[in-house]
Amino acid sequence: MRPIQPFFALTGLTAVEAIRQPILVLLFTACVTFTAVTPMVLLHTFGEYGKMARETGLALHFLLGLLAAVQAAASSLAQEVRSGTAAVVLSKPVGRHTFFLAKFTGIALVILAFSLGAALATLLSERVAERLTHTAAGAEELIDWRTAWWLLAAPLLGLAVAGLLNYTRRVSFGSTAFLLIICALLLVLLTSGAYDRTGARASFDLRVDWRVLPAGVLITAALLVISAVAVSLSTRLRPAPTLALCGLIFILGLLWEYLFGQAPTSPLSGWLYSIAPNWQHFWVSDALTGGGTIPWSYVGQVMIYAATYIGAILCLGTCAFARADV
Amino acid sequence: MPEPTESAAVEIRGLVKVFRDFWRRPTVRAVNGIDLTIPRGKVFGLLGPNGSGKSTTIKILLGLLFPSAGDVRVLGESPRAVAVKQRIGYLPEDSHLYRYLPARETLDFYARLFALDRATRRARIDQSLEMVGLAHAANRPVGEFSKGMARRIGLAQALINDPQLVILDEPTAGLDPIGCRQVKDIMLALAARGTTVLLTSHLLADVEDVCDRLAILYNGKVRAQGTVQELLTVPDTISLSIPELSPDAMRDLLALLRERLGIEPRVDHPSMDLERFFLDVITKAADQPASLSGAAHTGRVAEFLRRS
Repeated sequence: MRPIQPFFALTGLTAVEAIRQPILVLLFTACVTFTAVTPMVLLHTFGEYGKMARETGLALHFLLGLLAAVQAAASSLAQEVRSGTAAVVLSKPVGRHTFFLAKFTGIALVILAFSLGAALATLLSERVAERLTHTAAGAEELIDWRTAWWLLAAPLLGLAVAGLLNYTRRVSFGSTAFLLIICALLLVLLTSGAYDRTGARASFDLRVDWRVLPAGVLITAALLVISAVAVSLSTRLRPAPTLALCGLIFILGLLWEYLFGQAPTSPLSGWLYSIAPNWQHFWVSDALTGGGTIPWSYVGQVMIYAATYIGAILCLGTCAFARADV
Repeated sequence: MPEPTESAAVEIRGLVKVFRDFWRRPTVRAVNGIDLTIPRGKVFGLLGPNGSGKSTTIKILLGLLFPSAGDVRVLGESPRAVAVKQRIGYLPEDSHLYRYLPARETLDFYARLFALDRATRRARIDQSLEMVGLAHAANRPVGEFSKGMARRIGLAQALINDPQLVILDEPTAGLDPIGCRQVKDIMLALAARGTTVLLTSHLLADVEDVCDRLAILYNGKVRAQGTVQELLTVPDTISLSIPELSPDAMRDLLALLRERLGIEPRVDHPSMDLERFFLDVITKAADQPASLSGAAHTGRVAEFLRRS
């Protein structure tokens, strides 16, 4: 019980402090809102509205999630060391490894919440996208306007209620808005099951493309990997160099397959290929084109890869933090 | 090198700390061979100008910095041992609080780091907030606090575990005179029940008020140490206080001193120090009802810190 309670206290605090940061709420709101707007403004899609909405949603999840993960991870530990709060916490009976791992776990919780919201928005956005629908008047291309407006209203409603609660009850705007937006998206998903694309009442069926889910899970795993990298780097670096290095790792990770993956030319390139996180494993939305699916067995393999990678990176981070002056 | 003694709360022998740059080249020798013993149950003052090595020494005592050389024992253990920190309280030079957390949640967080059960946490948080005069601001985020209020919450978190050794780095910085007096009273109350207090301050009057022993650092070395009495007594002069005398009686007394001792005595009225005068004025003013937006003057020490 004794070592666990400080770990949970630190994890909870890290998560709460992270989602109270205005930048996190801004990124999350932007992710959900842009995903919601996408199916309404799509043009020249050659009939692939659903694909465009889905891929835009997943890309926003990946890109803004990446920014959120790196920002939260880099600022959480490095900022605490710089501001002195880490010194106060480590003057209590808290081991350095506990502190470090709790920081990562707290950030991971925030990433999971971010990904839940982004995945819900993508599922709904894909449902909203224009597609051939059979109505009494015949077959026509229809946007699910009812769900579209509710989807667009969800983040606005979350922000408005959070603002009101902040004014009347002094609760934290950031964390309340974050949680309310997720609740609002869940509510939209559930209520949208009660009507069809034309807005007419129908038997309960969520009518979303669940194939999006494994793609969202893979992106979440990628975000956890980059969070682990950012937290580990921030044991020795300030937030700005951490952000820059994470950006570099992200770009290299996208190019790695082309640079070293085809045919390793030397032991060094083979070694580099195996140590860099390969983002191509996590971005497989192309597989969904033309009715394809992402097998859960593949998701399982990538999750094992991500867990191994995170474990190794966190080991290095723990060692780096163990001897760092605070 | 003397053996560590059971009665010492802190033993430092030959402590050296050299800071290095990215390339591991030495940049600053912040502490340069300090030997120090802090007895248990005393208030010990660590004085020195900026950059003299006080904060570095404190951070080494807390295991936050790693010494380049020397031996340090805190409550008989290495400062890197996590278990020994169960018995230590620390208030840093700046309060370093999580700005989005309300005061009550801040104290609850620190209490949970000591694995205190819920009932104990709740009781200590209530008493601590009352003690530092912030019960009315318990639900406000500490990021909105003034420097003095943040200092008070910092002090409350430093004492939440009822420590055996309290390390206070500039505890009165940013506090009004009432707050300073309260902090000093708390230090004296802690010392009276056997808690060791290590204090650094630039306010020498504060140190003189509460410290039993002190050491003065300069350029990373101890330049003087001993009891306040030993260090401050002027050995060849005494002062004598007597009630107000009539002019005739005073004239006779002075004549007697001149005749018998052959000295010219100096006569003046003892004056109240400014702190005591200020507190008298405020205490009288506090009797009149008024609304408070900052910290309140309660003059109380938390019950869990009064039990021996």
